[in-house]
Amino acid sequence: MKKQHNIWIICLLLAVVVAVTMALCAGLGVVRFDRQQLLESPIFWNLRLPRIVLSVLVGALLSVCGGVYQSVFRNPLTDPYVLGISSGASLGAAIAIILGWESYLWGVGGMALATALLTILLIFKISSIGNRMHTTTLLLTGVCLTFLITAVISLLMALRQDKMESIIFWTMGSFASASWFDVWILIPVAVVGLFVVLYYRKDLNLLLAGSETAQSLGVEVEKVRRRLLFFTTLMVAFSVSTCGVIGFVGLVVPHCVRLVCGADNRRIIPYSIFIGALFMLLCDTLARTLLPPNELPVGSITSLIGAPMFIYLLYKSKRKI
Amino acid sequence: MIEVRNLSYSYGKKSILNDISFSVPEGSFVAVMGSNGCGKTTLLRCVSRLLTPQQGTVLIDGRPAESYSIRQLAQQLALVQQHPQTDFDFSAFETVLMGRNPYQHHLQNESQQDWDIVEQCMKMTNTWHLRLALPGQMSGGELQRVMIARALAQQTPVLLLDEPTSNLDIAHQFEIMELLTEINRREKKTILIVVHDLNLALRYCPEALLLHHQQLLFQGPTADALSSERIATVFGVKAQNIGGYLRFER
Repeated sequence: MKKQHNIWIICLLLAVVVAVTMALCAGLGVVRFDRQQLLESPIFWNLRLPRIVLSVLVGALLSVCGGVYQSVFRNPLTDPYVLGISSGASLGAAIAIILGWESYLWGVGGMALATALLTILLIFKISSIGNRMHTTTLLLTGVCLTFLITAVISLLMALRQDKMESIIFWTMGSFASASWFDVWILIPVAVVGLFVVLYYRKDLNLLLAGSETAQSLGVEVEKVRRRLLFFTTLMVAFSVSTCGVIGFVGLVVPHCVRLVCGADNRRIIPYSIFIGALFMLLCDTLARTLLPPNELPVGSITSLIGAPMFIYLLYKSKRKI
Repeated sequence: MIEVRNLSYSYGKKSILNDISFSVPEGSFVAVMGSNGCGKTTLLRCVSRLLTPQQGTVLIDGRPAESYSIRQLAQQLALVQQHPQTDFDFSAFETVLMGRNPYQHHLQNESQQDWDIVEQCMKMTNTWHLRLALPGQMSGGELQRVMIARALAQQTPVLLLDEPTSNLDIAHQFEIMELLTEINRREKKTILIVVHDLNLALRYCPEALLLHHQQLLFQGPTADALSSERIATVFGVKAQNIGGYLRFER
């Protein structure tokens, strides 16, 4: 069984490598290169390559975080944005766009990250009673704050209608402005965050059985939950700050993996990393190549591909029972 | 094996357990009985450290329960809850395998020994044929036997069970109690079980703890605990012991 699991991991890793290489070598995009031009072109090195790397990273992180949230909250409909990170980041981005910080290096992204983290700190503070974190209160606080922040963003857009288009475009999510700077910022968070999640992936299974059962089976429930939520929110906040809000990936990828491979997080977490990366790369490649020279919002591509796939798997799995 | 000294617990201002002391020797099979809301489940949760009592101490093998880490405690006590959570689809085998968690490090996978122990526990509880079944494909009795197999896989000297026979038909109730008797006899495990059915307790549990009004009314042989007077005091009904079977009247 372990051998089979390792083979799957290797296959998926190879699939990611092959997909990245194909996306690069095919020279997909508005500007077409031959092989010689490709290696010398700044468009390839400074635009296309960081964009591909970033989409792979963000796809992997959002999928893993979705999987973790679904286990920690014991709710299969939870996605990485449920705690209000996306709305927190969107508020920061909206403020930065209104202040005209788009021209500064990471002006919008930095502000989005700051407000996303502030939102999360506020939510954690409200939902903690003593040393314990109440997950239902956490979810409800996240939902309420999301509504509140969305209202503030709408107000800001109504007041500054000249910036409305930029704000809406940011909230739809895109890798169009991806840079190496975004990649280097995301890599350390991804490495540490993924290590923590992989370290606790067995505990995630036990959390699914209920917190009291988990504790009676030797899991330090509060400590594990806090660490997982801290690192996953950090990964989501950094991801959102680099590319905006890309929905559906974090919900659908871990869920599809669960429908195919079962409920064991020791499989779901590593598989989600690779499948999420592949899925996001595919969606972004389609987003920038389907209607050249225009770009489609990558969020709509993720939903257009992911939703029917998800419904098919759900239908198939329910028929088995 | 288990010693409880002056234990008190309250939810807010409502006292649930008040100054309870008792000790359970190694290898005992003890029924915890009392009327609804008298604190049976709370007592089990305090012993297993799911709840921290406001006063008093729980000693396990002579050591205060707080001095154990959560992992060490899971190697001493296994808990079977009344309503197991089965929202996500783990097979019966995967569920029982979770019982080996207290003996594994985070990045360590199960060893052959763990697999063998799980197989042995599932065979003992007559659930091996269900190893691939998901919770939705099992009956209440089968699910409860799987939970007992998981507790056995923890290989603890103590088993705590909170009404494992509730919601089961009479045949499955007997099956579970016979299984526990067998485990107590063969494995010499100490078993503390919350039971509502007094006849079931009388038939299978040699010892009993009888709780009343947040206090321990009696500890001793189950037949003595379930005397007509004590049943009248605790449950407010008349009872008559006819050849080891209790007959009740209002």
